[in-house]
Amino acid sequence: MSSLDNKVSFQINGRQVRWEGDPVRALADVLREDLELTGTKIGCRTGECGACTVLIDGQPVNSCLIPAAAAADAEIETIEHLQDQPVFQRLVEAMAQTGGVQCGFCTPGIMVTLWAWLQDRTLFGGDVTSALKNNLCRCTGYRSIISAVEQVVEAEVSGR
Amino acid sequence: METKRKSPLDFTSKLTGQTRYIHDMNLPGQLVAGIVRSPHAHARIVRLDVSRAKEVAGVKAVLTAADVPDFAYGPTRFKDWNIFARDRVLFVGDEVAAIAAESAEALERALALVEVEYEVLPAVFSASDALNDSAPLLHEETAQNRPMHIRIARGDFEEGKKKAHVVCGGHYETNRIYQGHLEPIAVLANWSEEEGLTLWAGSHIPYRARETYAAGLGLPEDRVRIVVPPIGGSFGAKYVLKVHMVAAVLTMETKRPVKIVLDRFEDMLTAHPRVPLSIDIEIGADKEGNFVYKDVVVHGDAGARIYWSPNVIATACSRPDNIYRFQSVRAEGHLCYTNNSPTTCMRGFGNAEMLFAVESVIDDVANALGMDPAELRLRNIVREGETTIHGYKLDTCQLEACIRKAKELSGWDRRDKLPPNRGLGMALANHVSGYSGIDLRFEGSTAVARLKSTGEIEIETGEIELGQGMTSTYAKIAAQALQIDESLVTVKSGDTSKHPFGIGTLASRATVIGGNAVLLASKQLAERVAALIKDQLGAEAVYADGAVEHGGKRYSLQDIAAWHRARHAGDELSVKATYRPDTELPDASFYGHPSPNYPFAAHVAEVEVDPETGRTKVVGYWAVHDSGTILNRTMAKSQVVGAVAQGIGWVLMEDLVVREGQVRNPSMMDYRMPGATDIPPVEIDFIEVPDPNGPLGAKSLGEVALDPVPGAIGNAIAHAARARGTLLPLSAEKVWRMMQDKA
Ligand code: FES
Ligand code: FES
Repeated sequence: MSSLDNKVSFQINGRQVRWEGDPVRALADVLREDLELTGTKIGCRTGECGACTVLIDGQPVNSCLIPAAAAADAEIETIEHLQDQPVFQRLVEAMAQTGGVQCGFCTPGIMVTLWAWLQDRTLFGGDVTSALKNNLCRCTGYRSIISAVEQVVEAEVSGR
Repeated sequence: METKRKSPLDFTSKLTGQTRYIHDMNLPGQLVAGIVRSPHAHARIVRLDVSRAKEVAGVKAVLTAADVPDFAYGPTRFKDWNIFARDRVLFVGDEVAAIAAESAEALERALALVEVEYEVLPAVFSASDALNDSAPLLHEETAQNRPMHIRIARGDFEEGKKKAHVVCGGHYETNRIYQGHLEPIAVLANWSEEEGLTLWAGSHIPYRARETYAAGLGLPEDRVRIVVPPIGGSFGAKYVLKVHMVAAVLTMETKRPVKIVLDRFEDMLTAHPRVPLSIDIEIGADKEGNFVYKDVVVHGDAGARIYWSPNVIATACSRPDNIYRFQSVRAEGHLCYTNNSPTTCMRGFGNAEMLFAVESVIDDVANALGMDPAELRLRNIVREGETTIHGYKLDTCQLEACIRKAKELSGWDRRDKLPPNRGLGMALANHVSGYSGIDLRFEGSTAVARLKSTGEIEIETGEIELGQGMTSTYAKIAAQALQIDESLVTVKSGDTSKHPFGIGTLASRATVIGGNAVLLASKQLAERVAALIKDQLGAEAVYADGAVEHGGKRYSLQDIAAWHRARHAGDELSVKATYRPDTELPDASFYGHPSPNYPFAAHVAEVEVDPETGRTKVVGYWAVHDSGTILNRTMAKSQVVGAVAQGIGWVLMEDLVVREGQVRNPSMMDYRMPGATDIPPVEIDFIEVPDPNGPLGAKSLGEVALDPVPGAIGNAIAHAARARGTLLPLSAEKVWRMMQDKA
């Protein structure tokens, strides 16, 4: 294979990135190892835990299952990019208040999923519990995470 | 607000993905390593040839037993570990060789080129089989494959048997469950002549790990340093691990940093699940329902070597007895070697398993007597001020209030009027807040409180944050003692070369044992500050709420820090204090007062069982705890819900299936853990009566929250299905069969 075949261009966190390497390498590894975006965690590599969730064109996906080449020309957003968004900030505050984070390993993936759901509540049939169906958390038992999201939604409805 | 608090394990950095776990850390020149593991449960190594693996480009070291120190070592008094299998492998996954290479590709290639020839030997896979004379001996020096055999007897047992009017019991088995930490097990190791060995390892007993590893390597302890990065969940899985040792010998060989991150498959194959117990139990009650005796025989499967399973057996044989006024008890425990992967602790170890059996049988006794199970419990529970059958002194105990509150919240009185296939079940639990006897040399905890030049306070502790909120609890304790805002306190721990010695964060030690040390150090710091002020400004100057008002001027902690530094050649004001609990080490018969205080809980579960499939859904859950003063309500609640979720997984779906020593479901796809839709709303309440021995009145919480869950769900299923399940997990298939057999 010529080296030309191994070039992929992504849009990552608003930045155009040209990347060269094995096109079937998992996107999660490319993000973590080559681009040093280690907020995306790897818990299982089999698409079960959701720790590696990133947004591709606004949709949450498991980046451990996506070959780098499959994300070519797409818009990829990782947890590192979401920080500045006001809704994300509100979610951070709510999660801290409800105890939605303990060990924190599942947390970035969960935050990406929740943020996506808050952007578009039709995404998972409208219900935050089903939105979390692709994310595992061993510490919190999920209820505090769900209340955090409810807090954000309520604050929005009441215009605070 | 919480998010402003500065701490290395701050919520904000976790929520924004900035927290760095081992997988996220790299050192220059780092090598990647992997392990050749036995595919057989028991076999002789006939030939081991690593020459072809050594030739692979990029391979820096290939090590086998022939290349490493050979000292018997291990974390408990059973020294049956080795770094690599020497001539025999004892379980599937046993370490045979390890390789460090420049790249993952080179590593893969080399691992495939290690040639091992085995002669398969007869193997044994269950604890009771291991005791048979015909079973192969795993460790020649251990007769009958039984490293531990205990007998406990208290009260007049024969008399108790005579008085029994109702006797219930049965054979119970608890399953092998996987701790399910989301962060896979990992280690980063570095060796240098000057610094010795440094291991970045998520151990929450780093000092014991250091001692264990130093012994295994033949190094003095001060040549080994353990640095604990943020831990992505453990629940008992990450105490002491062979993979740390493998990384250690590889870095010592190559003089380059070595990193190993297990993939989920390898993690599940070798992560040392919960010790499966088989329990034969009998409880007798007189006509009025008083518990006159309890009798248990326990067999525990340690796997092929000892991690922490002895403590699990001892706990199972004794701890639950301290919830009730049993007039007599008898227990026999056997811990056995088998050719399964070694087993170890998981949250609530030993206690939660035995409570599953005890609480199930108590419901059977209630049925036999025609009594309400909650009433039967109320009749028999221990009370404040009592000393329990094994010697626990209960300065506080709000168990009765917990039961009454749990009844009220759950609407217990609707129990007789539930629709078909619905059930309500109750279970109780106790625990310790640190157990004396974990380390016979020292039972306390040490903390350093330091006034920094910025006027902020730094606390150093030997205990470890696991995401349970220990750092914010300690910050709160220090803040109260020093009359300042919590946001001014940073808590640091997890470096054996910097921070004070600690036994480790196990047996629910953190809040009470570690917290008392923090309280002591903070109080002493406050006294030193007060003395300094008097010295500087005169006797009439008084420190209050983080500052001194004097002569119309206000001096902050920052000013006070500067005064101290000016007088002490720039040195910071700091104090180091050690808390030694006023406990009594349990004697050989397990009689004693091993913990400063004891938390209690009463849980109620409501389930719906589908009669067509046997599938159980937990539809409601109520948890009421006596953990003394609750220091951090948010985290306390989150921990209880987390424990309930783990319990739901344990009872209904989780089972690490091992056949012939081989894990059959080593992936998160095949080993199902609860997801968001499996967890019902959980209502939580605390009966807060401050305990005189806890810091600010606190008792422990994290483990006791899991202890009653299997019993509560088991009893709810028995109530719904009108049939008793005794073998965990109570999967759909088992419950369906149970219902068929009954009908
Ligand atoms: S690492 Fe991708 S889903 Fe678990
Ligand atoms: S916070 Fe630990 S796994 Fe979710």
